[in-house]
Amino acid sequence: MTARIHALGILKAYLGGKSETVVDAGNTVRETLRALNIPSEVVALVVVNEVPQSKEYCVQDGDVIKLLAVVGGGDE
Amino acid sequence: MNGYGGQILRVNLSTGKISKEPTPPELARDFLGGRGFGAYFLYREVPKGADPLGPENKLIISSGPLSGLMIPGAGKCDFACKSPLTGGYAGASLGGMFTAEIKYAGLDSIILEGISPKLVYLFIDDDKIELRDAASLWGKGTFAVEKELKEQLGEEFQIACIGPGGENGVAYAHINHDYGRQAGRGGVGTVMGAKKLKAIAIRGTKPIPVADLNAYRQAGMALYDACKKSELLKPWINLGTTMVTSWCDEVGALPTRNFSAGSFEGGKTLYGPYMRQKIVITDKGCFGCPSPCGKYSRMKRYGTNVEGPEYETIGMIGSNLGIPEIEDVAQINLLCDDWGIDTISAGGTIAWAMECYERGIFTKQDTDGLDLRFGNVEAVLELVPRIARREGVGALLAQGVRRAAKQVGRGSEKFAIEVKGMEQSAYATHSATAMLLAYMTADVGAHHNRAWAITYDLQVGRELVNADKVARVIWLQHIRPMFDTLGACRLQWVELNIDLELYPPALEAITGIKRTWKDLELISERIWNLTRMYWVREQPGFGRAWDMPPPRFYTDPPKTGATAGKITSLDDVNKLLDLYYEQRGWDSNGLPKPETLERLGLTQLVAQ
Repeated sequence: MTARIHALGILKAYLGGKSETVVDAGNTVRETLRALNIPSEVVALVVVNEVPQSKEYCVQDGDVIKLLAVVGGGDE
Repeated sequence: MNGYGGQILRVNLSTGKISKEPTPPELARDFLGGRGFGAYFLYREVPKGADPLGPENKLIISSGPLSGLMIPGAGKCDFACKSPLTGGYAGASLGGMFTAEIKYAGLDSIILEGISPKLVYLFIDDDKIELRDAASLWGKGTFAVEKELKEQLGEEFQIACIGPGGENGVAYAHINHDYGRQAGRGGVGTVMGAKKLKAIAIRGTKPIPVADLNAYRQAGMALYDACKKSELLKPWINLGTTMVTSWCDEVGALPTRNFSAGSFEGGKTLYGPYMRQKIVITDKGCFGCPSPCGKYSRMKRYGTNVEGPEYETIGMIGSNLGIPEIEDVAQINLLCDDWGIDTISAGGTIAWAMECYERGIFTKQDTDGLDLRFGNVEAVLELVPRIARREGVGALLAQGVRRAAKQVGRGSEKFAIEVKGMEQSAYATHSATAMLLAYMTADVGAHHNRAWAITYDLQVGRELVNADKVARVIWLQHIRPMFDTLGACRLQWVELNIDLELYPPALEAITGIKRTWKDLELISERIWNLTRMYWVREQPGFGRAWDMPPPRFYTDPPKTGATAGKITSLDDVNKLLDLYYEQRGWDSNGLPKPETLERLGLTQLVAQ
């Protein structure tokens, strides 16, 4: 059972420049970020199937999860 | 002149004289518009030592070359004056629809001079410009005034007005427009009130000349297209600035109980998704905006509505006052807007008062019997009108936190969270050295809109102090305020991550003058140094000491949250300033060097 992660903006850098990856369902978003080596504190917003969720949300099969950072300007 | 209204309007409120002069092309070339025009006219025309509330101060309202045109968020105008809050430069940015009417009325700046002998409002309908009696409006809240003027004059008139806060000289009074937008900081509303000017009503119907109509349409559509295609568009519209509330709480940036911490245990009922579900009715945007960040809210418990609250108000009136429920924050937001006082400065000053109360520096005798413990919503609801009316303890707090703390003493200065006399806005900077530097060096005082760098701090290391971090802050201080100079919103770039390089072709198509971002950064650097020199001129002994952060951020680590136990050392604070001055071309006391002023073409202007 899997879900898709979209990393937006500067977060792509943590996926080696890719904007998308597939992850296992069943873990929290926070645990998933840890597994992907994305520092949780850089992710400002988690949107699951177009609905904002906390990082304690448990990833379900088929979820489409967007990760957003708040940069304040500049994408470096 | 392509891209411009073409004229500067002068209104001498003392004599009633109304005149226009052509906008000088060299002013447009060197200072571009908006914030650039404001800084220029302020330095050049307000004499040294002018009383901010006296007739020599001027309130300069300026649109920019992008304002009112087919550019995303082309709805920004700048309000500049000598600040009654800080005694230095005040530059506040207003969104909404006002700036477009300035351009359509054939104007670039409106310069308000003197003090009216009677209570007036300024009426502008293209070339019909009059000072009209405002005696019946005086004393009314901003919503009633706007509604009344629109009913009287027509919906197409755009209104900017002050509330009782501005009339009564609250040092951080704001100017309200479109019911829920403000020129908020630095006391620009206070200056308007001192001039006995209650409101400005403006409508324009003239076209704006554009150099290349086809290229302008193409460039404008390219900007709109980029916004539409941004993956960040939907979440941004959904939450607006409230998307950062939960994140700030998580990373220790949410101001809590007078910035004593950066995380709030009551935070969850302030977060964006909770707010959207609990009180938000619809989204609201500014002129030409494809990504409306404004949230129009209904507070059922109070039977009221408000545009807001924005993140800043949530931080400063919510967590910073220990208030956990968004509906209460929205109601206090409404009072501040209607009474006409800046929510950020009000939140910072009230938080200080609450800490004074909890420490026993204030008793109920000092607070008009109000129980000013953190979290007491009823006390804050009582306090806002008292501040606006300058009654009782409201009179103390109406001065702003720096003056109030100086008056009270007893160690309270140590927890007055301000820089240069302006209350810090809603990012706690116990351990975020780029953002700390941004607050220390912002040219209006502790405001975040010049540079915002918290994610950058988290990416490269919160506590890191090096040349790259300082360079980042300086770059942001050139790019972000450029939007206030151009007269358009920066949030499409900041939040939707659209390409900065889409803007120069639009500006060239409009003005007929090719400029790269390097050219624009130079103009920003020029304006930055001019506003710095304004402080140097106006504040005796101005220098490094004025850039120091509140002591709390180098002496008082939070006990809870992500930044528990963390603080920036005073050594690092000074290292940040040393690096900053070096990169800015300023001396070790933070004064621009002559060669820097010469490079920027400012030598003659600042010699005046």
